[in-house]
Amino acid sequence: MSIVVSDLSFTYAPKTSFAKVAIQNVSFEITEGETVGIIGSTGSGKSTLIQHLNGLIRITSGSVKVYDIDLTAKRPDLKRLRRSVGMLFQYPEYQLFADTVLQDVCFGPLNFGATLSDAKIAAEESIRLVGLDFDEVKNRSPFELSGGQRRRAAIAGVLACRPKILVLDEPTAGLDPAGKREMLNLIAQIKGNYIKTVIMISHNMDEIAEYTQRVLVMNNGRLIRDCTPVELFADSSAFTDTGLEPPHCVKISNMLRERGIETGTPLTTTELANAIINAKEGLK
Amino acid sequence: MRDVAFGQYYPANSVLHKLDPRVKLIFVILFVVGVFLTKSLLSYLPVVVFLAIAIATSKIPFSKVLKSIKGIFFIIIFTGIMNVFFNKSGNTLWSWRFLVITDEGLLLASKLALKLLLLVSGTSLLTFTTTPMSITDGMENLLSPLKLIKVPVHDIAITMSIALRFIPILIEEIDKIIMAQKARGANFDTGNLIKRIKALLPVLIPLFVSAFRRADDLAAAMDARCYNATPHRTKLKELKLHIRDFIALFLAALLITFVVRIDSMIWIIFGI
Repeated sequence: MSIVVSDLSFTYAPKTSFAKVAIQNVSFEITEGETVGIIGSTGSGKSTLIQHLNGLIRITSGSVKVYDIDLTAKRPDLKRLRRSVGMLFQYPEYQLFADTVLQDVCFGPLNFGATLSDAKIAAEESIRLVGLDFDEVKNRSPFELSGGQRRRAAIAGVLACRPKILVLDEPTAGLDPAGKREMLNLIAQIKGNYIKTVIMISHNMDEIAEYTQRVLVMNNGRLIRDCTPVELFADSSAFTDTGLEPPHCVKISNMLRERGIETGTPLTTTELANAIINAKEGLK
Repeated sequence: MRDVAFGQYYPANSVLHKLDPRVKLIFVILFVVGVFLTKSLLSYLPVVVFLAIAIATSKIPFSKVLKSIKGIFFIIIFTGIMNVFFNKSGNTLWSWRFLVITDEGLLLASKLALKLLLLVSGTSLLTFTTTPMSITDGMENLLSPLKLIKVPVHDIAITMSIALRFIPILIEEIDKIIMAQKARGANFDTGNLIKRIKALLPVLIPLFVSAFRRADDLAAAMDARCYNATPHRTKLKELKLHIRDFIALFLAALLITFVVRIDSMIWIIFGI
């Protein structure tokens, strides 16, 4: 098990009039190698949950274990934890600060104790990996880059720490359709080659359907479902009380079902197209 | 970061909350004047009593008020120590090399500490009981005579209210940036002073960048809604004085009188 969360609860500003329960009795386990999506409407506790995975919030109730690091311990080894768990926040391009892209990407490795030359090697590798032209961007200020490039530079900054687990909070927010596609392909590519486990928050069900093998659904601070995308999207009742909508492919196949054409639960456009072709063959 | 108490409005239903912001501003100004007019220890009594009554009627939990003092605790201690050790007049109580403690020094230090405590808790009571919007409204109204000599009072007021409005947003932003940099292994809690200041750069730079970005966006949004297109803006909530406001003003005047005259009054009352 790479991550074990059990009975985790968290309340913001406890014992005051502003107290707000963010998550309640959440338990799940994530095995190394999985790609897990976390979905849920705004305020359902997704962000609070993933902040726990990186020791950014002190655990008040329940427990979290990442590999052999027990976060309920009095002084957990946060440095080692944060090194194993890379965290990409929403709009990560707003965390860039250094004079040059290279320096910014080196920030993480240097903090984790790498030598300058090692950090530079790791930085160059990650900058290339995210699809930026290393020689072109390395000495430029991160603030001169375009929005999409800046987000790539920010991802490079996380990848340069060589984490085993990558946690992403809405990695495609604010990108144009082509940028979204590129970002997701990048994540899939990294997942195959560099990172073992990926956890991704998203509001976009199409992304979840296409890129994850498992979905955790959060609602009002509770984990209400933990299943595969097919299981989730095949069950239309799952969407009635969460404020979420199924992916387009599932919506189309549902409409087809209402008209008597069974196409199963396709998760991608290709699957949907094949299912329609098969259904058509069957009708003949 | 989230529990910055100073300057945060605390919603409650009390007379102090309902008072006209102009009256509260004048009251606070007179209160501050009163604190500075104090001379003898006795003359602190009316100020302390007034503040205690104000806190009690405001329905603000006492722990909140204490929290606002916590922020300046270091300053109080520091000035206190300075005064205790470097005031050389009066009777010497204790001395060691160049350090001397005198009775006058002790008295002065405790008076100064009391002054600071009163100032901070009194003024934070204003921000606890008044929304930033109504403070600036009151300020604009009080300063409106300056319009005659072409002081852009309205612009100053709107600038102030924007600044106040953005404090919580920027605090939230700092939280986010700190988390993001912590996730990249940044360490803000150890090392010497210079190291710690350096460690703040990765937080401050993104913060400034985003503050400028927000300022640009806000300016564009205000422009798009024709800010300053008309010379006279009307208000949704006109300020109106009630009887309670006059009573408050009267009490403020009473406070000043007490502070200035208490020494001689005590003589009269007790006939000593």
